[in-house]
Amino acid sequence: MLQVYLPIAEMSINIAMVLGMGAAVGFLSGMFGVGGGFLMTPLLIFTGIPPAVAVATEANQIVASSVSGALAQWRRSNVDIKMGLVMLIGGFVGSVVGVQLVKVLRDLGQIDLMIALSYVTFLGIIGFLMLIESLRAMSETRAGRTAKRRSGQHNWIHGLPFKMRFKHSKLYISAIPPIIIGAIVGLLAAIMGVGGGFIMVPAMIYLLRMPTNVVVGTSLFQIIFVTALVTVLHATTNQTVDAVLALVLMLGGAIGAQFGVVAGQKLRGEQLRALLAVMVLIVALRLLVDLVLEPDELYTLAPLLGAK
Amino acid sequence: MMQIRLHVFMPLLLLLLATAPLTHAAAREDIQSDLSSNEIAIESNFTGARIVVFGTIEDGRRSAEEAGIYDIAVVIRGPAKSLISRRKSRMFGVWMNSSSHAFDDVPSFYAVLSTRPLSDIAKPDILASRGIGFNSVLPVPEISAYQTVWEGEEARDFRDAVIRIKQREGNFIDDDRGVIFISKTLFRATLDLPASVQDGQYSTDVFLFRSGRLLSLNQRKLTVHKVGFERLLYTAAFDYPLLYGLIAVLVAVVVGLSASAVFRRD
Repeated sequence: MLQVYLPIAEMSINIAMVLGMGAAVGFLSGMFGVGGGFLMTPLLIFTGIPPAVAVATEANQIVASSVSGALAQWRRSNVDIKMGLVMLIGGFVGSVVGVQLVKVLRDLGQIDLMIALSYVTFLGIIGFLMLIESLRAMSETRAGRTAKRRSGQHNWIHGLPFKMRFKHSKLYISAIPPIIIGAIVGLLAAIMGVGGGFIMVPAMIYLLRMPTNVVVGTSLFQIIFVTALVTVLHATTNQTVDAVLALVLMLGGAIGAQFGVVAGQKLRGEQLRALLAVMVLIVALRLLVDLVLEPDELYTLAPLLGAK
Repeated sequence: MMQIRLHVFMPLLLLLLATAPLTHAAAREDIQSDLSSNEIAIESNFTGARIVVFGTIEDGRRSAEEAGIYDIAVVIRGPAKSLISRRKSRMFGVWMNSSSHAFDDVPSFYAVLSTRPLSDIAKPDILASRGIGFNSVLPVPEISAYQTVWEGEEARDFRDAVIRIKQREGNFIDDDRGVIFISKTLFRATLDLPASVQDGQYSTDVFLFRSGRLLSLNQRKLTVHKVGFERLLYTAAFDYPLLYGLIAVLVAVVVGLSASAVFRRD
């Protein structure tokens, strides 16, 4: 029982438990190629870390995991830097707005609710869609068919102005959709402490129609900068980044991810995705139950902000 | 005129002077106390701390039977902070904070330990004036003429909630068997500070009562502070937040780079 004191959360926590949580989520993120923030932040909240601290600290951890992830993709030249930079314009705007929103909601005493509701909504939708998709893929594989991929088709995205050429992605599209996607991801990073890969990757594939091989690298590339900005903004605006907690999570995550990657290569894609979908839905359900059931204690205490 | 007056009062004054040491000894039993430590350091392995308040009643001439009726109350108080208490209610199917109540200058930590229940030791007004007991820290709000009964009850509920939550955290403690006499004049009180204690200046007041009357008071200071790395981080986070944020990002980048260097597979 090695306890470590968290200076910002102002509580003592079992270091083995946090390392284990970091490693477990790191393992999953290595296995599925997801950031893991959407699992880590709720787990931190379940262990009693104040939600605002969990979100800001998790953003800090994602900087580390996305640096190593993006580096691996970079070596295989799977990063569309230009696309990443355009998305970052939106990402920065979204982060700034999101962190301010957190501050306002904290003053109003509604930040915990906002974080929980965001998670229930996003995890519920994503988990549901993933489950449907992986079940369909599983039945199709069983039937011997391969999933068809439509490409080169034009959609409404191509009617928008400010067109730019993205050589790496072999695209000539308007800069507006990437900027908007970036902004949404920045907002989610600030409010939920997630990288936003789970929104960005489908959006890049289905809306922007980027080639799949550059999607993950480009998304990781932009996540580095968005989560770095979110970390700094939370540190300056809300003082909610717990550096000790973040460091322990980073170490656990780095180790877990390595084993996850190996495990992921040995297992079947559709079954893995179905498994992840079920886990995502369980987390969403747990958060929903906490919101709906009458709590044991109706009252909460918080320091009055601005009166130190 | 002056001469005459002095003449009249002189014998009385002498009499008073002669009896003074005697009456002084009868009225003033003294209490001395100290703490097991005057300083508590919050380090990275901090999980709370135990404090022992001990002391002695200085009046050896009293008989044992009389000494038995001494009462001692020990009050330990942490730095005052302003708090907001929020109450959840069901709205649109979910439980959300709907009303709130601010409290000024609530001690972040408050412990009251005594030899027996406070109500047996002294009258409420004496206890209140000396800051002994939860009621003196957070008085039960009076329902004013401008409030409805419901508003008044709500204010009381909020006040009770603050005490209840603080007690559960271990930051409010009351123990009416917490002060133990080791001998006729020697006493000891033990209490545990939780891991969530706030840093700052704490005061320890030891009160000596007999038959509802306050005989003596002894005060000690206690400092709780974060030290070393914990202090550095905390100070940086609040005094140099930009630098803190930038370093947090830098550490993350270094960890990320090292991880991919260590575990590189290609």
